[in-house]
Amino acid sequence: MLATLLSATLVALDGRVIRVEVDVAPGLPGFTIVGLGDASIREARERVRGALRNSGFVHPPRRITVNLAPADVPKTGSAADLAIAIGILIGSEQFTARAGRAAMIGEVSLGGEIRPVPGLLPMVAALARRGVRRVIVPADGADEARLIGGLEIVAAATVAEAVDALRSRRRAAPTPPARVELAPDGAGSATPAVPALTETMAVPDLADVRGQVEARRALEVAMAGGHGLLMIGPPGTGKTMLARTIPGLLPQLSDDESLAATIVASVSGEGPLRALVRTPPFRAPHHTSSYAAIVGGGRALTPGEVTRADGGVLFLDELTEFSRDVLEALRQPLEDGRVSIVRASGAATLPARFQLVAATNPCPCGHSGDEDRCRCPLGVPDRYVGRISGPLRDRIDVWVTLARMKAAAMVAGPDPEASSVVATRIAAARAIQKARLGGRLNSRISGRALRTIAQLRPITARRLSDLADGERLSGRGTERLLRVARTVADLGGADAVEIEHLEEAARWRPPSSRPNVALAV
Amino acid sequence: MLGVGAGGPDGAGAGLPGAPPNATHAGVPARDRDALAVLLSVHGLGPMTLGRLVDVAGSPAAVLDIAQRQSAAGELIEASRARDGAGQPITDAVAAAIVEAAGNAGAILGEVERLDIRVVAAADRDYPRRLLAIDVPPPALFVRGSLESLASRHVVAVVGTRHPSPTGRRLANRIGAALARAGATVVSGLAVGIDGAAHAAVLAQRGNTVAFIGGGHARLYPRAHERLADAIVDAGGAVVSEYAPRVEPTKGTFPQRNRLISGAADAVVVVEAGARSGALVTASWALEQGRECFLVPGPIDAPASAGCNGFLRDWHDLARIVSGVPQLLDDLGLLGSAGLPASRRPGEGGSAGRSKVRLPSASAVLSGRSAAEIAVAEALVHGAVTVDEIVAVTRMSVGAVLGAVTRLEVLGLVLAAHGRYEPAGPLAAANPVAA
Repeated sequence: MLATLLSATLVALDGRVIRVEVDVAPGLPGFTIVGLGDASIREARERVRGALRNSGFVHPPRRITVNLAPADVPKTGSAADLAIAIGILIGSEQFTARAGRAAMIGEVSLGGEIRPVPGLLPMVAALARRGVRRVIVPADGADEARLIGGLEIVAAATVAEAVDALRSRRRAAPTPPARVELAPDGAGSATPAVPALTETMAVPDLADVRGQVEARRALEVAMAGGHGLLMIGPPGTGKTMLARTIPGLLPQLSDDESLAATIVASVSGEGPLRALVRTPPFRAPHHTSSYAAIVGGGRALTPGEVTRADGGVLFLDELTEFSRDVLEALRQPLEDGRVSIVRASGAATLPARFQLVAATNPCPCGHSGDEDRCRCPLGVPDRYVGRISGPLRDRIDVWVTLARMKAAAMVAGPDPEASSVVATRIAAARAIQKARLGGRLNSRISGRALRTIAQLRPITARRLSDLADGERLSGRGTERLLRVARTVADLGGADAVEIEHLEEAARWRPPSSRPNVALAV
Repeated sequence: MLGVGAGGPDGAGAGLPGAPPNATHAGVPARDRDALAVLLSVHGLGPMTLGRLVDVAGSPAAVLDIAQRQSAAGELIEASRARDGAGQPITDAVAAAIVEAAGNAGAILGEVERLDIRVVAAADRDYPRRLLAIDVPPPALFVRGSLESLASRHVVAVVGTRHPSPTGRRLANRIGAALARAGATVVSGLAVGIDGAAHAAVLAQRGNTVAFIGGGHARLYPRAHERLADAIVDAGGAVVSEYAPRVEPTKGTFPQRNRLISGAADAVVVVEAGARSGALVTASWALEQGRECFLVPGPIDAPASAGCNGFLRDWHDLARIVSGVPQLLDDLGLLGSAGLPASRRPGEGGSAGRSKVRLPSASAVLSGRSAAEIAVAEALVHGAVTVDEIVAVTRMSVGAVLGAVTRLEVLGLVLAAHGRYEPAGPLAAANPVAA
């Protein structure tokens, strides 16, 4: 007998509805799955066999053929396990399902439990778009699935529970309301029934970072305008520590951003999620990460770090130690805010609108500038930061060099500001930018629009060209200076970019554009 | 002997198309100057051989005249045999290259004109007289700008490694600025690192500086210093090459060029040099040419000072040590004119420990600047190094400090490196106590 059920698979960040057709026919016992499945789908045979047997059902000794349709969509992962298992039970007439065509998502274990799968959220969303009213999901993933409103989510912990849900005449449970409405203005998260997604890493507070006022200021400017930031300095000067405070400095995501971030988190296997992701992602991949890990890829077109950092910050510690391919691959996302992945199994364009924050030592030994300690051969320190290719440097607006602090300065001095104080200023500066034409952050503005919002007075414009001449800035360098100056002005609440803003912004240029000594102006 | 004296100033073969009448120089007929420019662009024809050719033919123009004849190559090879039989005659390839250059004379001279280069022949009045005294002076120089400053009473070369330490960079800056304030012309090689720092420091003081480059003007190296080269010319100095515009700089041309850096100066100061630095070649040339040679010593384990220290050891009887900027000026006989009133000449009276030079205060250097700039400059002179320290001393906001630093940097009074800020130019010589 033939059984047809609905399930879903992932293509990049999108869920795709698939039809699972199970034919249990007389003949030599066998189990075949067709329909562009990958290795994990083929392995479903073994999981399903065990799950059925250990749930008190019989794995029928007959000829079982599973077809996953449509045939042209490559299927990956184990999300269709449950549908295959249930299909075999219906096909071998071990129970009779009621109430139309059911949809289900979940991986089964040999013991018959249903396990959550990555990407549950977009898969349920795809089923909802198809008009499905009722979806059986792993019990652990029910909260995540309920983020999609308007359909009944049935949580099942085991295959047996799923069978019960399908067999019962009545609906297993009344339609529960969606925990978080996606449409309203984020009020849903005001009274979280479940705690918001907690960061896996503890976020240090800026109050814990003593000294380095120049770098703190650079960080504040970069965060306020969404500018790329590069911190250069010897080990132990606080580069990484400063970067790790970033999650505490950025404003919460808007509803649209939040949904996008939640989908990416779901697909990336951070789930099962309990609520919408409200904090901007902060991704800090290790410098040994592979190209595929950063950019994304694989047969399933899995999102890479650039996509997982979408809407947030990608922090590359030890930037110069990343492989050249990886760094070159950052160019497209930095330029377009998305990344294209082409693999044999298909092509996908994923969002990658991240803010780049990077840190590097000034030289291989890390102590360049400290003559007693740096033992790098002559010329090596000069070349070290030079490894960052031109196109990448062009996309980093804010450069700051950190010096080793004297111990006295670390102990004495006023207490540093807390993250919350700085975050307030950053939020205010961002609000000003959002209210301006286009509502984009300064880092995403260039050309004429930038000139317009800068509102330069003639005397300020003159100063800009003097500074650009003195520093031998290219057109792009001049634009970068103006862009950062706009953010400095926003932080100061100024309508127009003034000379003082330009002069501060001039400090955040790449060190290589500094001549030996500035020429007299 | 063939073609001897053929073509005097009014001789045949006057058709060097595009040759501008260059009447401003006395001494050398324009034809000869143009002919030199053409001959110097021949690959493989050095100043010695060219000298012999000119000697035999009678004038550079005469050499070109020969090259435009029928059996030119053979005649040229014959002419390159010195009368006394010394030296190798030119090869067929070089002879052929001369003939080719002669045919291309118009294009070569056109390029010289297009790049705004003057050809200054050894017999010209503004040819640097110090260079005439070296062993093999270039027959002609390709000059952008004015050579006038090389006739100054004091010309000092400041050279060093292309990969200096921050200290080296700062010292090059201080020494260049001090020499400029003392009225000396500073000669260097336009390289990145010490050379560039010295040139730039002089420019920041509105002083005179001349760069000798190791290739043709159309192949300016390093490209990163194109703007610096322009600034040197604009400030009344010069960028000078002994090579025709299209000659590529190579490994071999730089050591050759170094003899001009030392030769054009009275003294050479090596600020920092690694064990195999080309700056040591310049120092050796200086000794050979009878120029004073000063080296800045460094820690014995500092790679960037290994060359200087080694040279001081090897040539302890000839090379001199730089024990301080005022002391250097004194040794060069520049202190009286340095604008730094000396209460007592350093070094006199034997005991070095008693040297005392009165220096201007930071606020004197900064007269007319804003209060914020003065406050930041004072902090720097008093030893503040990072923005944290400046903020702690001045109690200004971080943004205001950063802005003031930018303005001081533009004025050449602050040097930023590795997240630290240091006084530069006149501010580096400012007296913390009197401030």
